[in-house]
Amino acid sequence: MTLGYLVRRLLAVILVLVVVTFAVFAITMILPGNAAVMILGEYGTDEAVAALERRLGLDRPWYIQYFDWFGGVVVGDFGQSLRLSQPVADVVGDAFWNSASLAVTALMSVTIIAIPLGVLAAIKRGTGSDLIIGIFSYIGASMPEFVTATLLLVFLAGPALGLLPAGGFIALNESIGGFASHVVLPAATLGLILTAHISRQVRSEMSEVLASDYIRAARLKGLRERRVIRRHALPNSLAPAVAVISLDMGYLLGGIIVVEEIFAWPGLGRLLILALENRDLPVIQAITLLLAAVYALSNLLSDIVIAMLDPRVRYA
Amino acid sequence: MTGLALLVLVLGAAIFGPFLAPYDPQAFHPTVRLQGPSAAHWLGTDQFGRDLLSRLLNGAPSTIFFGLGATLLGVGAGSVIGVIAGTAGGWIDSIIMRILDGLLAVPELLFTLLIVTILGGGMGQAMLAVAIAFTPGMARIARSSVLSIRTREYVLAAVARGEPSHYIVLREVLPNAAGPIIVESTIRVAFAIMIGATLGFLGLGAQPPSTEWGLMVAEARQFMFRNAWTVAVPGVAIAMAAMGFNLFGDALRDSLDPRRSH
Amino acid sequence: MSFNKIPRRSTLLGMVLALAVPTLGAAQGEPKMGGTLKISHSTRIATLNVLSLSGPAEYPVIDMAYSGLTRIGPDSQPMPDLAESWEGSPDATEFTFTLREGVKFHDGTPATSSDVVATYEAILDPDIPASAASVLNMIDSVEAVDDLTVKFTLKTPFADFPTSTAHANARIMSEEALAGDPAMLETVVNGTGPFKMESYDSARITRLVRNDDYFIEGKPHLDAVEMHLFPDLAAETTNFLSGDIDVMLLVQQADYERIASAPGVNALRVPSGRYVNVVMRFDQEPFNNLKVREALAYAIDRQLLVELVLEGLGRPAHDNILSPEFKFRIDTPEKAYDPEKAKALLAEAGYPDGLKLDLVASNRPAIRAQVAIAIKQMALPAGFDINVETMPHDTYLANVWRKGNFYMAYWGMQPTEDATFNLLLTSNASYEDTGWNNAKFDSLIQAGRSTTVEAERAQAYTEAQELMLAELPYIIAFYEDVLTASKDTVKGYTLNPINRYFYLENVWLDE
Repeated sequence: MTLGYLVRRLLAVILVLVVVTFAVFAITMILPGNAAVMILGEYGTDEAVAALERRLGLDRPWYIQYFDWFGGVVVGDFGQSLRLSQPVADVVGDAFWNSASLAVTALMSVTIIAIPLGVLAAIKRGTGSDLIIGIFSYIGASMPEFVTATLLLVFLAGPALGLLPAGGFIALNESIGGFASHVVLPAATLGLILTAHISRQVRSEMSEVLASDYIRAARLKGLRERRVIRRHALPNSLAPAVAVISLDMGYLLGGIIVVEEIFAWPGLGRLLILALENRDLPVIQAITLLLAAVYALSNLLSDIVIAMLDPRVRYA
Repeated sequence: MTGLALLVLVLGAAIFGPFLAPYDPQAFHPTVRLQGPSAAHWLGTDQFGRDLLSRLLNGAPSTIFFGLGATLLGVGAGSVIGVIAGTAGGWIDSIIMRILDGLLAVPELLFTLLIVTILGGGMGQAMLAVAIAFTPGMARIARSSVLSIRTREYVLAAVARGEPSHYIVLREVLPNAAGPIIVESTIRVAFAIMIGATLGFLGLGAQPPSTEWGLMVAEARQFMFRNAWTVAVPGVAIAMAAMGFNLFGDALRDSLDPRRSH
Repeated sequence: MSFNKIPRRSTLLGMVLALAVPTLGAAQGEPKMGGTLKISHSTRIATLNVLSLSGPAEYPVIDMAYSGLTRIGPDSQPMPDLAESWEGSPDATEFTFTLREGVKFHDGTPATSSDVVATYEAILDPDIPASAASVLNMIDSVEAVDDLTVKFTLKTPFADFPTSTAHANARIMSEEALAGDPAMLETVVNGTGPFKMESYDSARITRLVRNDDYFIEGKPHLDAVEMHLFPDLAAETTNFLSGDIDVMLLVQQADYERIASAPGVNALRVPSGRYVNVVMRFDQEPFNNLKVREALAYAIDRQLLVELVLEGLGRPAHDNILSPEFKFRIDTPEKAYDPEKAKALLAEAGYPDGLKLDLVASNRPAIRAQVAIAIKQMALPAGFDINVETMPHDTYLANVWRKGNFYMAYWGMQPTEDATFNLLLTSNASYEDTGWNNAKFDSLIQAGRSTTVEAERAQAYTEAQELMLAELPYIIAFYEDVLTASKDTVKGYTLNPINRYFYLENVWLDE
């Protein structure tokens, strides 16, 4: 692929992000109530609310608020959180790293587990193992995260077994063991559907490849089965798997919201729900921007990886 | 196939559920609250002593028709847009594609959350939100389906014959484009059911005292260590409903697409 | 099934103290110095602005970091805090407070009367949101007589003034902080309390450490206190039970039994006047008819509500906004659950075929919807066809609160009768929401606050309660207990039923 193509893709991403932020801004403006009302809650007399609105700059016309925010973002200043009175960059930044550590753990585990599972199912096609893996995939793909999370909590973290902590978070730089024990359940919850999708995708691609002439030729040459799979079949099956991972990124970003809420993981998902409830506009904008950017960039990245893996793919 | 069987069960529950419920789903039976399965209450009771089986059956329509409704709306709107883009071509197509790309940049659940927050919580609003979130994706699929069919011989023949465009679209393009759209829709229903339940769980979809299954799980969470049935019953039901549609959709895809071996 | 007699206040107070203060006193041994107390909470500490905060987890933080002129003690009476003594004029229009000597803010600057004046001026400033304003709005002027003396002059006599100065949001801040950037008030803490702020991360942990210069010798005992956020209640409970956390700030009714029976845990149940009330507007159909309101009052099974919604952790109430803890509370006649009587009343009111109503409940806290659903079921046999409408809290605040016809509200306990009535029920109450506008009631409340003679106050408040019970602006079906829990190793931990004062300077760890 050409440099020109990459540049054009990046520009498109930036344009899209600008439109998204404007849309989100417009949406939040239409909502009933605003941050001042939410902060003061049932103790908000009309004067108090008006005073707070003035202090937060919410009494300015909407276009001024938007351009003020936009101007700030361009130079890297994301403003102050209306609800938490801390710089948005700090609040969102911390949350981002926490979410990232969870998401990366989930993705890594999924890749390590799902690809071998898919390969196994393809190799043992039609046998009992394939069936079992298939059933597990269907069930896994059909359970919404909150169901998986709740069931995992009840059975693994409940008073009966108490194997794992029922939520909470310990930073990686504080204690690796602590981080690990707290990340297991949320990562498993997030990973379940992804594992189901990816293993099925790998299986189906792998089956086709295994039946192809290319592989038959390799086998006829007398190569050992293991080598056939590892050196010849697998690389050709991976491209679609990467495509699925990138498609599922959107799914992951959505699922992380619920999972963080249930497991008390202090990441972007929880922060977003809090910001939405409280009409904390700068935080909502920052998070949406961040998530959309991550999604768009991961799509771009996966396109690049696919092109590298499969030389047949060409981009104009 | 198993998918079909499950689907029939699920749809049956959605249509007949409320009539089959042994008890009034809202009636309190305080003396037997938070109990596991028993002869009188096959799936146990919740914190008010309400029969879980009755609540489950009563909530089937909300949960499942939500999925069907949202998908139908999203597929309908998306297909129309996609077909227009695909058949019109040129600058109309370009503009529509740019807008779609923009909308697709936002992860679906996030998009749904934002829209539902504007519209306020509630089942109707949630359904509309999910439909809107589905539209860009469905439009994309409809469009590429149309694009690949546009160049087929029967379409070119119709153009050569001088048929008016609406005839071409309705009689030649749509019936052949329908296949992938239908397959995608079935799987989307499963997804819509799951999102609907998630919104109910977050308090943004169905509101109490509705017996929508996601909401049932949310309300039961504080009691989950005292009576696991309160969360397990609706949770498993959601999974089974989604699974039915998933299996059926996959089977449909396999039968429609001869290239994919199973 | 139902209580036969509501115990007299003093006996109840004795019970409260016995239940809530089991570990104070010599029986537990001498307090040990040191240790870090870990407290878990499930709502965010979103701000540290003393003037306007209202979150359940924010109150412990300012209770630790700041002092007010006075403070409410475990016996619900005002006790000295920053002020070591005070005097009121016989007609209760002037109050003079004498501050302790040598008190310093955490940053080392001295705390003097000018800081008190600055704080009160900020509270009374209409442009500054201040929750304490509603109980301090009778202040005409505040002046610093000298460095350690502050004099308040009131517009009208107000006998409960020292209780008002103990309001949790009326803590003394430094003049400097108030004159500076208002945004700093949200995140910077500089008080005279037993603990000072070390770090504040609203997403996870807020940490305070001992103030070695605290004005009470020998306190606090603890080295530090940490507030840990667990927005998920199941996660919070499990972490507490596994021993990682020392105190669980608020326990849900559903978990109380399980926690109370766990080994090594001390579960605390403090009877409180916290209530969920049904608001019915006087100036709209159908609640402008007293018989309709009465009918609904008889269509509710209060004992059952306590059992189902509170898991038994509360007391049935019979529409008196004052719980038994209040000094001037009268014995309230019980209203038994009587759907037949309710039906008859409805017929008398002109609804012989029943009445269809929409009851709105915000989704925060969840208890509102639960009570609404229960009321719907219980009122069915009386002919009430109630449609429960839940909505997100923000929509409720914008569209329903103080405007709606029929909805569920939720209020914590106030320190005095006057505060309770003036919050909601007088014509010019800050959060007036029923349109009652009863001149006689207003004058009774005014009379109650204007005199210091106990007998006169009792008379005024008695008549006010009788009026309230006759007119029924609200239906109040129960008083919710405040529930908290701590590990056995935590000594001296207790809560005030108002749930704003935590006395953490008395707590020590026996490890």
